[in-house]
Amino acid sequence: MARRTIQIDLNRVEGDLDFQLELEGNTVVDARCIGSLYRGFEQILVTRKPKDSLVITPRICGICGTAQLNAAVLALEQIGRIPVPPTAIRIRNLCLMAETVQSDLRQSFLFFTADFCHPKYSQRGFYETARAAFLPFKGSVHRGALEHSRHIVEIIALFGGQWPHSSYMLPGGVTAPANSRHIIDSLSILNKLTRWFEQDVIGTGLDNWLALETADDFFSWLAAKDAHSDSAIGLFSLIGRDIGLHRLGFGTPHMLSYGAYDDPDDAETPPPQRKHLFRAGFLDGDTGELKPFEQAEITEHVRYSWFQPYAGGRHPFQGQTIPDYQPHSDRYTWCKAPRYQNKVVQCGPLADALIDGEPLIRSLYQLEGGNAWLRQFARLRRTARLLQTMRTTLHQLAAHPDGPHMVSPVEKEIPDGEGFGLVTAARGALGHWVQITDGAISRYQVITPTAWNASPKDSEGRRGHWESSLIGLTVDDPDDPVEIGHIIRSHDPCLVCTVHLLDTGKRLTVWP
Amino acid sequence: MGGRHIICFGNELHGDDGFGPRIYTELCQLAWASDAEVFNAGIAGLDALRFLEGCRQAILVDALANFGKPGDVCLVRPEELANRPQRLSGHGLGLPYLLEAFKSLRGPVPEILIVGVEVTAAKPFSPGLSAKTEQAVPTTLQLIRSLLSE
Repeated sequence: MARRTIQIDLNRVEGDLDFQLELEGNTVVDARCIGSLYRGFEQILVTRKPKDSLVITPRICGICGTAQLNAAVLALEQIGRIPVPPTAIRIRNLCLMAETVQSDLRQSFLFFTADFCHPKYSQRGFYETARAAFLPFKGSVHRGALEHSRHIVEIIALFGGQWPHSSYMLPGGVTAPANSRHIIDSLSILNKLTRWFEQDVIGTGLDNWLALETADDFFSWLAAKDAHSDSAIGLFSLIGRDIGLHRLGFGTPHMLSYGAYDDPDDAETPPPQRKHLFRAGFLDGDTGELKPFEQAEITEHVRYSWFQPYAGGRHPFQGQTIPDYQPHSDRYTWCKAPRYQNKVVQCGPLADALIDGEPLIRSLYQLEGGNAWLRQFARLRRTARLLQTMRTTLHQLAAHPDGPHMVSPVEKEIPDGEGFGLVTAARGALGHWVQITDGAISRYQVITPTAWNASPKDSEGRRGHWESSLIGLTVDDPDDPVEIGHIIRSHDPCLVCTVHLLDTGKRLTVWP
Repeated sequence: MGGRHIICFGNELHGDDGFGPRIYTELCQLAWASDAEVFNAGIAGLDALRFLEGCRQAILVDALANFGKPGDVCLVRPEELANRPQRLSGHGLGLPYLLEAFKSLRGPVPEILIVGVEVTAAKPFSPGLSAKTEQAVPTTLQLIRSLLSE
């Protein structure tokens, strides 16, 4: 059978990712996820003063800089055994949630649902409805998402002075208190977004929506009223399922979550023992068993990466990142291959919800597994939970007007030692591992959510999550593989997605 | 309705893509009428929408591709960007996407002008402008001055 290679570029602001797929006929038989840009943040940090990480690491990403900052500060606090007051934890959480809400809404309605307007679907019954809602710059939901998603990060600017790339979290707290003006302004921003979300995205109130607990509840709700089926989430579900996204794009069954948002009521417990608002854990996809998360079980492999080779996997505290570009070998990426308990895992909103025990996502997962539709649905489900939790957080801040936002550390400098900061960014599990020797950073290792999901093969030859989610997929038209676009976008990797065929040099674009 | 905004785009780490930030640095040295404000939008992407708000005129400064010979300084209107599939520069989603997004929002739309230079190469992680782009800096500053004095 004719075999050909398709190359898909995923150009992100943060760095470039490509997919190289081998098709036999119309079926994907091999997939390589290629990190095509070496960035070197980990090396930049070595030999610097520990607190430089608070300025440098938020620059890793223009979308999740708050999460990077949080991971960096948690690692330093762990090393210095530095306590943090509850008010500071609430401000940090509020800002982390604002960042995730923006990312999730943009990923869903600026990028994912736009594919439903692809000309391939022009003969389908849903086509005109899809265009009216999701067509870029014209559809009502696309325009609403554009307008409403941009204001939510103003909350971070209020508390952190700027967004993106802010550095307002310091060991011991945050730089500014939550004064009543900030709280009122934040509530007003939140209210505006929540109103739009209720009206246009879920077609009902947040409480009603979050009260749905089973797959049956959800499907009955969807059929109950026009307001539900015509809502953005209704259309996304009906169209997504109509084109079979609930049967595609599963990837690895193993799920990992570091837990999200430190519990301010448990502020006295230092991390990593401090409780989270959303639980951490590991879901073993083979047995269905939910196990406690243990960071010591993380390793990174470089067998297929352009780094100086070492055998097997290494924990980040023994991690090594020495670039060794070998374009003509079987190595194919600048990403390492992280593994948990030597297993290929996925992270992100679906893993987070399943591990936290969110009932509706669990019920849908039990029914149909971790498919592309559910992965995207879990992302939007999270938005509702975060909007609600942000409101609670603001009310708690208002109820403790005199709570200190900073407890200055006794020691001015961070002492020698090692620590890690593990947080949940919009795309999933984000970790920083830091070692300090003679007052300077001697090792800094970052594992991003995309490193987990976009992992290449490991030293045992096992593919990463995105790679495996495409194997066996059959596309209608290899010259315009929109099905691949749906699955890749459900993983939330990219802003722009172009395809070119290596065999002809002809360049195609996955619409739009 | 508001004043005039000069908004510079680009990534100074990527060769000629740093043209916008370079112009921003120069503009900051000069004296401007009280209603003119200068912004460095860098690689803000959609977050640059803010800079387009609350002004009656917005002059966007960016690196251009396929508008002329390297080093040519061009004055482009937004409608001339429509139906041009090329990415203007190596950062984020590019100006056409930003302007399209801005048009679809509610609210008053300022007069938008784009001032740019046809660049030689947006070389990744090679800070510094090429000779031809560097030579275009004074002409660009003059052009912006003349636009503001209109």
